Amino acid sequence: MRPFYIHKLLIAFLVSATLYLPAFAQKPNGESVSNNSHTSAPKLTLPNKEGSVRFAVIGDTGSGTSKQRDTGAMMVQYQAIYPFEFVLMMGDNLYGGEAPQDFDNKFAEPYKALLDGKVKFYATLGNHDQALQVNYKNFNMNGKEYYRFTKGNVAFYSLNSNYMDPKQVKWLEDELSRDTSEWKVCFFHHPPYSSAKKHGSDSQLREVVEPIFLKYGVNVVLTGHDHVYERIKPQKGIYYFVSGAGGKLRTGDIKDTSSLTEKSYDVDLHFMLFEVAGNQMYFQAISRTGETIDSGVITRKKGS
Amino acid sequence: MRHQRLSLACCALLLFAGIDAAVAQSSQTAALAPPVVVSAADKAAIQTFEKQVKEYMELRNKAREKAPKLSKDSTPEQIHAYRTALELSLRTARPNAKRGEFFLPESADYIRRTLKSEFQGKDRQELRKTVFETETQGVVLRVNYPYAESAELSEMPATLLAKLPQLPKELRYRFVGRNMLLVDRESNVIIDFMPEALP
Repeated sequence: MRPFYIHKLLIAFLVSATLYLPAFAQKPNGESVSNNSHTSAPKLTLPNKEGSVRFAVIGDTGSGTSKQRDTGAMMVQYQAIYPFEFVLMMGDNLYGGEAPQDFDNKFAEPYKALLDGKVKFYATLGNHDQALQVNYKNFNMNGKEYYRFTKGNVAFYSLNSNYMDPKQVKWLEDELSRDTSEWKVCFFHHPPYSSAKKHGSDSQLREVVEPIFLKYGVNVVLTGHDHVYERIKPQKGIYYFVSGAGGKLRTGDIKDTSSLTEKSYDVDLHFMLFEVAGNQMYFQAISRTGETIDSGVITRKKGS
Repeated sequence: MRHQRLSLACCALLLFAGIDAAVAQSSQTAALAPPVVVSAADKAAIQTFEKQVKEYMELRNKAREKAPKLSKDSTPEQIHAYRTALELSLRTARPNAKRGEFFLPESADYIRRTLKSEFQGKDRQELRKTVFETETQGVVLRVNYPYAESAELSEMPATLLAKLPQLPKELRYRFVGRNMLLVDRESNVIIDFMPEALP
């Protein structure tokens, strides 16, 4: 049997387990099993084209709560109908301690089904993350605080926004200056633009990175830190997303009056799905319970 | 135009000080804060600081040999074992470590002036907010002891990092309230700190 079919069968089994077995009943922290009775059936808005680059995005996940696990379970359901290959993590991967059991409770167990299904996670560091996470095998950071990898026609840059020192700035400029990828996506923890009340826009970071993004044609920037979902109105042609509620939520934190917001959501946890097909990047933001809270498509200008 | 003039002035001063920061900064990243005047005495203080950092790195490299090897695809248990062993080894290597060994009065004075310059002005209120909102409860400021693992890490402003003496990747500047720390990145051991560093 070819590996592809084995993979599909495994995913199908895991989805079945998610739906019908008490797979999330055994919680090390003693929390009660969350009630999934209000969940919606997965409904994909992405085109799911053959040969496209498919990935998911989660941020500020590492709480180890039942709701984080719910969100992980919903990701599994969507993975069954939309086989995303990898997941980008926006930082704050582990809150409140990093003993070996924390890696399990706050990451490996909530996403066990995805990990078992060979979905790769690519992490970035948040302000709650210790430096040695870069050596954790399941975060695929290859021992580096900032790194680049490509998938198809997309280059991904994971940056360490906790410590944007001159070395990192130079590395970013050097890498971007010779990058011929059609799409350039940067992801890191602190949002250059955000309408959340708690943190909001990180203007001093923006002061340093935005000119570089503009100079070298970065198309999309993905961040976390604020525990909400927000799609920012394009800023100087760049699309910014805040996806910081994969495991922690700050209810009602989005400013009603912000002129930055294109779409926002601050009533439940969420994750995102992306699909890049040629000059189109499709996105879908999904709540913990499976509701689609935002979707759309970004078209890349030729030559950008 | 004003930004370009500031940028050129800032770069010239950094070059004079022998700091590598200017290399990595593109013109558009120059800070809005006024540049710090770097005197010959400042230059000497920075060189002394960098020499101390270099000596620490030699000591650190020896201490690190006593810790188990850590690969790029480690398990949580291996990470924990490495961090614990490195912390113990580093602390043992500096049994008499005390505050002020790295932040000597001269270099501390230069850094304080740099911080004051960077944090002053209305446009830097957000910068202060960023630092002061960091939840650092549980952090005990004690040289040669680890920064509390469960505490939040303050984001270090990129514009400030471009102006401070550059550090090897094994060391980090960090804020706890108004205090500025020098921390070993992997072990989280506090190497030194400057109380009331921020204006």
